[in-house]
Amino acid sequence: MADMQDSETKQGSFEDADRIRKLRLTPAELWQQYGPWATTVLNLTIFFILWELFARSGMINQVFFPTASGMFSTLFEGLTRSAPPDAIISGQIIDHLLYTVRTVVIGIGLACIVGIPMGLLMGGSRHVERIFSPYVWALASLPRIALVPLFILFLGFTMKMQVTIVFLAALFPIVINAWAGVKTTEKSLIAAAKVFGANRRQIYYHVVLPYTLPFIIAGVQQGIGRGLVGVIIAEIFGGSMGLGFLITRAADTFNSELMYAVLLLLVLISLSLIKITRMLEAWIAPWRQQALM
Amino acid sequence: MNRPAPIERNVADSPGTQVGEPVIVARNVTVGYKLHRERKMLTALRDISLTINKGEFVVLLGPSGCGKTTFINAISGIVLPWEGSIEVNGAPVTGPGPDRAMVFQDYALMPWRTVEANLRMPFEFQNLGLSKDEVDARIARYLELVDLKGFEKSFPYELSGGMKQRVGIARALATEPTILLADEPFAAIDAMTREAMQSELERIVMATGQTVVFITHSIDEAITLGDRIAVISRRPGRIKEVVDVNLPRPRFDGDVKSRPEYAKIRERIWDLVKAEALSGAHGE
Repeated sequence: MADMQDSETKQGSFEDADRIRKLRLTPAELWQQYGPWATTVLNLTIFFILWELFARSGMINQVFFPTASGMFSTLFEGLTRSAPPDAIISGQIIDHLLYTVRTVVIGIGLACIVGIPMGLLMGGSRHVERIFSPYVWALASLPRIALVPLFILFLGFTMKMQVTIVFLAALFPIVINAWAGVKTTEKSLIAAAKVFGANRRQIYYHVVLPYTLPFIIAGVQQGIGRGLVGVIIAEIFGGSMGLGFLITRAADTFNSELMYAVLLLLVLISLSLIKITRMLEAWIAPWRQQALM
Repeated sequence: MNRPAPIERNVADSPGTQVGEPVIVARNVTVGYKLHRERKMLTALRDISLTINKGEFVVLLGPSGCGKTTFINAISGIVLPWEGSIEVNGAPVTGPGPDRAMVFQDYALMPWRTVEANLRMPFEFQNLGLSKDEVDARIARYLELVDLKGFEKSFPYELSGGMKQRVGIARALATEPTILLADEPFAAIDAMTREAMQSELERIVMATGQTVVFITHSIDEAITLGDRIAVISRRPGRIKEVVDVNLPRPRFDGDVKSRPEYAKIRERIWDLVKAEALSGAHGE
């Protein structure tokens, strides 16, 4: 029997503890593990130092190209200081950031509430699919930015308008991914469930849904990206709050430090949101991570 | 590692049944599938009649795409015959049932379930009248039988192909069906592990007394495992001939392949499949 013990197992939770030994890493292995981090830190440091030197050299007017240190200090101040309570319009980054984040979260939340069940239904029922798919494809292929003037007309320069834009931008990736997940559920898993006595409801609940979950997360991930684009455009078009508004105002007042600070902030937000959804995916569907690698 | 004790369950002991009594009776079965887009009904099997007796290990041998899988699906009840009938334990098949279980070529384990939860799945879908403790005991017993004790909490992606299929086998056995259906279960497993798995399967079904319907396209696998081999021709599949394999069991204790009878049976089967195999090699 021992001869047929497969050796490729990654995590055989055997009782005999002597199978597991502590691993002492050599410097080369340590570098392999932490090297990428160190490289990134060094890389970025050099990048910002070069930026600083270049900006200080005066080759480009600081109205267009601020120093890195100026940008960072504007960012830090803007994030740590809030506008006084009686101010009409805030000039501080944090207030605009919170406004934008709130818009995005509400818009994407609504897109999930509507989009996930819609995608699941479209994948699960041929009738629902037939009825909805022309509209989904039509709206998904229309650049949502083209709808911004329409919604300004309907809703004015309000948060409602911006939420609507985010909602529409995020909705279709979510619907289409959930729909595709249901459609591509592995036939052999469904056959296995049937053989072992599952009825339609059990197949849907115990096979199709878990199989589709990572697809839904991928859809939400795409939705967040599209939603961010949507909210910035909606805010640039009109309104008196949000990071998009702050960018236009920084441009109007020749405040390049503020503008670059907001741009950097957008990069950071986008990256951290993607990272969070990736972690969520790895946590919910570890098997998929493995399959992709 | 110690060999787990054989399971104390002999189908022959259950009242009213005898070894050798027919459990699967297929009469003039024609079955296939619909291709909606092309508006075609594709016949996979034509006019198959086959009687399989209690405790027998029957191998369906044929080239790829000859409809063997469709036949086993018809026995399992996930597809129904267009013409003819299939009876299992005296009752016509109208759908899947707990008296039949299947082992799949691509394992068909739910990737989001642990090994243990995969074994629990059949008990969740069908009510077998077992308490939770009884189900737990069953799962533990069958995981031990396939030598996977200690891997209860592992996920399928953490296991090798051979181990995954042992989970598949344990899942099929855990509900203690009278009929075990196996659709090329070892086709995706490397050659050395495959031999070990074959001997495992023989040992297990000798202990449990199950009736087995086993699909393969390997002549050697068919002879080493089967009591009878039904040779099926290319699509639409028909049974060309049923060959008896009178080799003593357990076959994996000695080198069964070097016995003269083995060579004789192999030659006979090769004669039957030669034409099919060659036409397959030249494409259709």
